[in-house]
Amino acid sequence: MSGMWRFLKKPEGPALAFMVSGMLWFIIGTLYGLVSAIDLVAPDFFANIAPLVFGRGRPTHVNTVLYGFVTEVLVGCGLYYVPALLRTKLWSPPAAWLSWLLWNITVLSGPICFAGGHTQGREYTEYIWAFDVTFTLAIVLLAVNIVMTIANRRENSLYVSVWYFTGMLLWTAGSYPIGNVMWHPSTGAVAGILDTVILWFYGHNLPGLVLTPLAVGAAYYVMPRIAQAPLWSHTLSLVGFWTLVALYTHIGGHHVPQGPIPNWLKAMSTIDSMAMVIPVFVALGNLWLSIRGRGGKLLADPAGRFVLAGTVWYLITCVQGPIQSLPAVQRVTHFNNWVIGHSHIAILGFAGYIALGAMWHILPLLSGRELYSRRLVNLQFGLITFGLVGFFMVLTTAGLIQGGAWNNGQTIYRVLPEIAPYMFLRAVMGVLIIAAAFVGFYNLWMTLRRGRVIEPELREEALS
Amino acid sequence: MKVTPALLVIGALLTFWASMAIMVLLPAATMHPAPSSTWRPWSSEEEAGNTLYVQNGCSYCHSRYIRTNDWDLGAERLAEPGDYVAQEPSILGTERTGPDLSQAGGEHPDDWHLAHFTNPRYTRPQSLMPAWKFLGESDIRLLTAYVQAQGGRDADTRISRQQRWRTPAQEAYARGPDKNIEWLHDQVPHGWLAMPNPYPPLPADLARGEKVYQDQCAGCHGPIGDGQGLAAPYLNPVPLNFTLLRRHLTDGRYLGGMLYYQIMNGITGTAMPYFKRDLESEKIWDVSNYVAVYFVGYTDATMEPRGIGAAYEPAWTNPYTPPQTQPAAASQPAAAPARTEPR
Ligand code: HEC
Ligand code: HEC
Ligand code: HEM
Ligand code: HEM
Repeated sequence: MSGMWRFLKKPEGPALAFMVSGMLWFIIGTLYGLVSAIDLVAPDFFANIAPLVFGRGRPTHVNTVLYGFVTEVLVGCGLYYVPALLRTKLWSPPAAWLSWLLWNITVLSGPICFAGGHTQGREYTEYIWAFDVTFTLAIVLLAVNIVMTIANRRENSLYVSVWYFTGMLLWTAGSYPIGNVMWHPSTGAVAGILDTVILWFYGHNLPGLVLTPLAVGAAYYVMPRIAQAPLWSHTLSLVGFWTLVALYTHIGGHHVPQGPIPNWLKAMSTIDSMAMVIPVFVALGNLWLSIRGRGGKLLADPAGRFVLAGTVWYLITCVQGPIQSLPAVQRVTHFNNWVIGHSHIAILGFAGYIALGAMWHILPLLSGRELYSRRLVNLQFGLITFGLVGFFMVLTTAGLIQGGAWNNGQTIYRVLPEIAPYMFLRAVMGVLIIAAAFVGFYNLWMTLRRGRVIEPELREEALS
Repeated sequence: MKVTPALLVIGALLTFWASMAIMVLLPAATMHPAPSSTWRPWSSEEEAGNTLYVQNGCSYCHSRYIRTNDWDLGAERLAEPGDYVAQEPSILGTERTGPDLSQAGGEHPDDWHLAHFTNPRYTRPQSLMPAWKFLGESDIRLLTAYVQAQGGRDADTRISRQQRWRTPAQEAYARGPDKNIEWLHDQVPHGWLAMPNPYPPLPADLARGEKVYQDQCAGCHGPIGDGQGLAAPYLNPVPLNFTLLRRHLTDGRYLGGMLYYQIMNGITGTAMPYFKRDLESEKIWDVSNYVAVYFVGYTDATMEPRGIGAAYEPAWTNPYTPPQTQPAAASQPAAAPARTEPR
């Protein structure tokens, strides 16, 4: 018992646990993605196998990769870098373990519940009420833990990564219960069109106030470290941080373009979507200027390469985003695979790449072991990059075919055969991404088991 | 500006909750749309259907609102905020792998939905929608009730039109195949009956007609046009066996116009859908020729009256002669007295 307690009190435990479980969800979640992709190629392939039917497998895929893989790995990184940046220890490792447990119970509820149709069905808020509770608890506990860690810091100034990580927890603790309409436990929704407004308020807080701060925070930590350069501008960090939360929270309306929501919401969401270039370009500019002239260092480092590529995906996503929120463009790009392309480069490209890069960078610091294989990290990078670039091209093409044809009067049924080849190619590209998930898990596991132990002195040096 | 813990925590929370007030509370306080003119409450069955719709993730492939630039299913009516009153949850959807369903009620009769939900490929051979057979018939009934309620009062109007025609269609079917066809043709506006297919069935036209047929019709009428498609066991009346048409030519020679009209317009009350949205005019003439040539074994293409010849059609002489129609047992002879030409 006391041995158990001692284990729970190890400061690096929860961070590692979040990474390991996140990488496991990466495998499971993408396998569900493949199932859904196959459903769209050969709809009778899994005929009448209820859990794998598209309408049930897809939410399992989306929630598992989102809340399981990307977010968990990034939280794991944060649980390491926040105390490290504050020159202190995590306030309560046991509480963080509890958060980990509650979080994973939530994610596990996805494959189990959705298989039987137990879902609240609104995109990104599918977990049923009981697991909304576990998730909210996990977030609140983490928020307390981090705020207390800040209170107990030995470093006076708060680095920008700390702002983002703390902000994410504070915001999500409010945004998640509201978005999930937790005061209506049975449906997780309010009645009527207002529900759409609430859903997409959350729906855009999820990328905006969960994934973006986590990923940008991690990039702010990793990139200057690998480049061994100071942060370029404190002012830009400030502008990027505060405009993020001020603007991102206003753009949910762009998910229901030309829909029956009030015009002022639509106008606001379009304008603020344009304005989103401010936090994005400010953060990117700050990061890239920080590593100016030292990009080679990031490219040479397997972890750095992932993070750097993640920032490039961020650029692409956030050039695409404002453009596709223009009504004239959205008439064609909405409702089809164009948006699925955007989602994948955003969540896997931007947030996922940075999650993986930050994890590979932090893992040795955290575990005291060198990476089992840098070549496997490179292999993973290659597989994902090939797969995702293919994904993006294929889905964008399919989306333009669909959107253009519909806009010119073809019926959806008639256009289905036109996208068939792209649905097939997407499934093929997906296999590469899944392979990368397996490679990553193997490398992680072997690092923890077999990685060469780093001499304590070297480790101290690396930490300072 | 130095970011202190207090500034961080209080500032982050204030900004977030202020935005929340603008983006959630303000709408909640101001959005109270009155029910739209077509709105009506859902019955308990329809409500249960909505639950199934949510549970089975129909919303990942179907939207429930129509925009100004839509043409497909339901495009006759733009979405209004008052359409969704009291519906909880009312998921609008962000993806259209399948068509918008907000106005789907009454598009098809229930037997079409039974076949379609059992396996969508039965009625729509190219569909990507999952088969829902595993849900069982009672859930499929609830889902059907839900779909039939989409569109509110407009849907009710369409449903009553379906029902208005369903009884006579089923009665005619019960009177036997020939009586059925006579009844069907009695409903076709006269001008369409004595009209030949104006376009020749050249090999390219027939190849196109075949593609259209396999993509759109084969699930019901069967690959060889005998009405024995995979959907047939679920439908009443069953899909037509085209070979029967050989003894039901108008004036002993015409069928092209009838085929065109029936395909374009569908047969309300039966599973036969309209194709005016899916198929442009040329494709309907092509599939008509395909059905005529391959399943009826005769086409009236390019016969008189043909009006001014279409500019681009190559010359083609119709090699078919009208079949010697035998008076079918229990049926009027098809070679009825010639009707006067429509003007
Ligand atoms: C994989 C995506 C997918 C899912 C999930 C899905 N559908 Fe469909 N649905 C389609 C496609 C594609 C079509 C168009 C072809 C067809 O009619 O089958 C369609 C057509 C329909 C139609 C016919 C519309 C018409 O009048 O032509 C109805 C009704 C329908 N779906 C209802 C549902 C319901 C109810 C569910 C959930 C139980 C559901 N769909 C789930 C893809 C999907
Ligand atoms: C969902 C099933 C279904 C599909 C798909 C379908 N049909 Fe039908 N069709 C029917 C049924 C059922 C009838 C018979 C109605 C009756 O007997 O009252 C019918 C009747 C017809 C008739 C009427 C013939 C007459 O003499 O009045 C024509 C012509 C026809 N179908 C052609 C087509 C063509 C061409 C297609 C494809 C473009 C097609 N159908 C697709 C079910 C279908
Ligand atoms: C400048 C920033 C961005 C803008 C303006 C923007 C804009 C948009 C718009 C307009 C849509 C809706 C498209 C449609 O349905 O027609 C959308 C969808 C989406 N975006 Fe972004 N985006 C931005 C950045 C991001 C980032 C950084 C992420 C993730 C980390 C992200 C994740 C998503 C996802 C997952 C969807 C799909 C939602 C759904 O329909 O299920 N976006 N974005
Ligand atoms: C970790 C990597 C991945 C992430 C983060 C991810 C994320 C997502 C997200 C957020 C969506 C919802 C998109 C939207 O509604 O706009 C989605 C949908 C989907 N994803 Fe993924 N995905 C990943 C990997 C994969 C892989 C490997 C495959 C296939 C082999 C795949 C196949 C699909 C399919 C088929 C859909 C449904 C698309 C549709 O509705 O038409 N995904 N994914």
